[in-house]
Amino acid sequence: MSNRRNNIVTLCLLGGCIFGFGLWARFKPDDALSQSERRQLTQRPALTLSSVMDGSYMSNYEKYAPDQFPLRDSFRTVKALVSYDLLRQKDNNGVYLENGYASKLEYPMNLDSLDHAAERFQYLYEHYLKDNAGKLYLSVIPDKNAFLAQQGGYPAMDYDVFIQKVRERAPYLQYIDITDLLSIEDYYRTDLHWRQEQIADVAQRLAQEMGTQVGDRYREKELERPYYGVYYGYAALPLPAEQIRYLTSDVLEACTVYNYETQTTGPIYDLEKGSGKDPYELFLSGSVSLLRIDNPAADTDRELIIFRDSFGSSLAPLLAEAYKTITLVDIRYLGSPMLGRMLDFHGQDVLFLYSTGVLNHSETLK
Amino acid sequence: MLFSSLPFLYTFLPCVILIYFLVPDRWKNMVLLLSSLIFYGWGERRFLIFMIISIAQGYVFGCLVQQYRQDQKRAKLCLTFSAVLSLGMLCYCKYADFFISGFNTLTGLSLPLLRVALPIGISFYTFQVLSYVVDVYRGQVEAQKSFIDLAAYIAMFPQLIAGPIVRYADIQEQLRHRSHSLEQAALGARCFVIGLSKKVLIANVLYQLITVFKDSREPSILFYWLYAVACTLHIYFDFSGYSDMAVGLGRIFGFQFPQNFNYPFISASITEFWRRWHMTLGGWFRDYVYIPLGGNRGSRGRQLRNILIVWALTGLWHGAAWNFVLWGLFFAILLMGEKLLYGKALGRTHVVKHLYTLLLVLVSFVLFDANSVHQAFTRIAAMFGGGQIPWTSVESLYYLRSYAVIFFIALVGATPLPAKLVARLDRSRGGQMLTGTLEPIALTALLMVSTAFLVDGSFNPFLYFRF
Repeated sequence: MSNRRNNIVTLCLLGGCIFGFGLWARFKPDDALSQSERRQLTQRPALTLSSVMDGSYMSNYEKYAPDQFPLRDSFRTVKALVSYDLLRQKDNNGVYLENGYASKLEYPMNLDSLDHAAERFQYLYEHYLKDNAGKLYLSVIPDKNAFLAQQGGYPAMDYDVFIQKVRERAPYLQYIDITDLLSIEDYYRTDLHWRQEQIADVAQRLAQEMGTQVGDRYREKELERPYYGVYYGYAALPLPAEQIRYLTSDVLEACTVYNYETQTTGPIYDLEKGSGKDPYELFLSGSVSLLRIDNPAADTDRELIIFRDSFGSSLAPLLAEAYKTITLVDIRYLGSPMLGRMLDFHGQDVLFLYSTGVLNHSETLK
Repeated sequence: MLFSSLPFLYTFLPCVILIYFLVPDRWKNMVLLLSSLIFYGWGERRFLIFMIISIAQGYVFGCLVQQYRQDQKRAKLCLTFSAVLSLGMLCYCKYADFFISGFNTLTGLSLPLLRVALPIGISFYTFQVLSYVVDVYRGQVEAQKSFIDLAAYIAMFPQLIAGPIVRYADIQEQLRHRSHSLEQAALGARCFVIGLSKKVLIANVLYQLITVFKDSREPSILFYWLYAVACTLHIYFDFSGYSDMAVGLGRIFGFQFPQNFNYPFISASITEFWRRWHMTLGGWFRDYVYIPLGGNRGSRGRQLRNILIVWALTGLWHGAAWNFVLWGLFFAILLMGEKLLYGKALGRTHVVKHLYTLLLVLVSFVLFDANSVHQAFTRIAAMFGGGQIPWTSVESLYYLRSYAVIFFIALVGATPLPAKLVARLDRSRGGQMLTGTLEPIALTALLMVSTAFLVDGSFNPFLYFRF
């Protein structure tokens, strides 16, 4: 190729990209949300004299441009493929793939975070639970790294030490070990959560240790919609879709869930949410600060309060048959000091059920 | 605004190129000036005033110095005024708190700090204005009569915030008459895309490792070395990438900016390293500080004093903190050592001279990157086993594996090997065909991959902003 022709081709290609994508970005309608990342995308900022003068237009435009760039998801995939396959990086945005499972590096152990979580638990104990007649339990759910990291050479916390440190910080809670019941197959490949259809044995262990019991006969149902977990968006790789399965029974179908936020009552599985942007919200409607599961078929007056994170959403239904009511409290969305106004503590059993991921980043616990 | 940002690449740049090439020649400098003011004001509106004052005083005193050229006293007075104004503004914005805290430490007083925010690029445009007025005083250039042309030179966005430090004498003619050609534009586009890739695909990725290291609670000797290498390569690819982009943009607009880097890591001595690293800054200090101080003339003591002054100032130019001063003095000592003691002996070695240079440069950038002198010494000591830490850790081994390819690409890319390989291919007809065909595709791929990293990434810091 002659130099002149080479120059023309170079300029046409590069100019074509810069002008082409520039025009496309300018005239493309804004997308409202990113399905893969499950978040709202920044919208084009309004160009006004005041927004220019106070600088907000510029700073908002800097956020807007990458959010609304044409073919954004494809570009993110290109970046991920270059990082993994060409640069041979072991993770992309902190997410790695091992044996077909996507997981986020959870490292190192954050003792300050454990202290903060323990301080929040202590607050709940001192203010609401110390004089409550019920028994107090703690169980810790290991994240996927506990099963994946070592074999792939990824840095990971020592989960035994981690759990021991949590226990030491909350000696007033009776610890229930569930780690021996879990393996990587119990988690979604593209998400951080465990699969409900795999954790019936965990529910049985918890129930047994708390002095009651639950059965293991459920009907397994499946959401029709393919499921892409949260790591699918982080990894930005073309990972295969999964299916969400959920367990039900006559008892569970008779149960109702009262949502304190919306003051509404609904079924235990929120099928409407199951077809929304995050199908995992099928389980107790996702991020809700305060919920109560009522079991009209209960042959007991026992009640349970679970202080929990999102892992508790899929587990709590499996405990429902052993209790008259189960109240689920998420202190990431409801400040502990507010709790006294919302709940009456009158001898319920209490379970603190938290994943290592939340305990290691407990700044969200209020 | 950063060159390595989507608003610049896909909004600002195409608009400016379009308008620039549509308007008649006499309006081109005005387009460059206005676009430069928008570029600068995009993130730093309140600091536009400093730049405008700088340009205005440079213009006025440049004209006055020329007018009084026959009257040395008045010309010198005007030069002094200009220098005091330029340096005064720089000192106020950049060094006031450094001096106040130093004064407080010495006297035990507690004068309040001014906490002035640093206008980006002030060190670069201050040096350009200074050199312009000095060159007019020396009679090396004529004062620019057109305010627009001078302002376009000082504020020109391709080189405004990170250099290279372009002297007025270098582009004086191009400001008035410059030609635009397909060849120059293609060369500029090539240079720009390569610079963008260096910044986005290598420097930004290495910066993630540096961030991981700084957040790590599992120190090991290996991790300190990984950090030192990543830090050195990051600074090089960050800064040289930005310089390449500046040179490339200059070419597109018809200017020939000087190169700023020439494969510094292949140097066989620290003296050579500084002939290859940030060459426009080294040249500036040589011509406007070192030689006026006497340079190599005079007694040995005087020569050493000149070296110390120049390198303390070089360090200080990079940042208002003691680690930067020490960084400059560290090089001063090495340069003096090479000049007076072991330079010749070192030159006779083969591998040792390169290892010596690389090791000391590596150590110097650990000093450069530290937040304090204490942190710098702690890190350097840890690199050499002084921290009572293990050799390796799970984390450091993981990141070694994860960044091995990036390190390899960066290390090879920092040498002339890729350029030599292309040159060798170009020698044969078949090879020429191959490179001619592949080059546009490779450049487009690099632009698209860089865009992909910018669309996805949140890591896009630019180190030289603080200068």
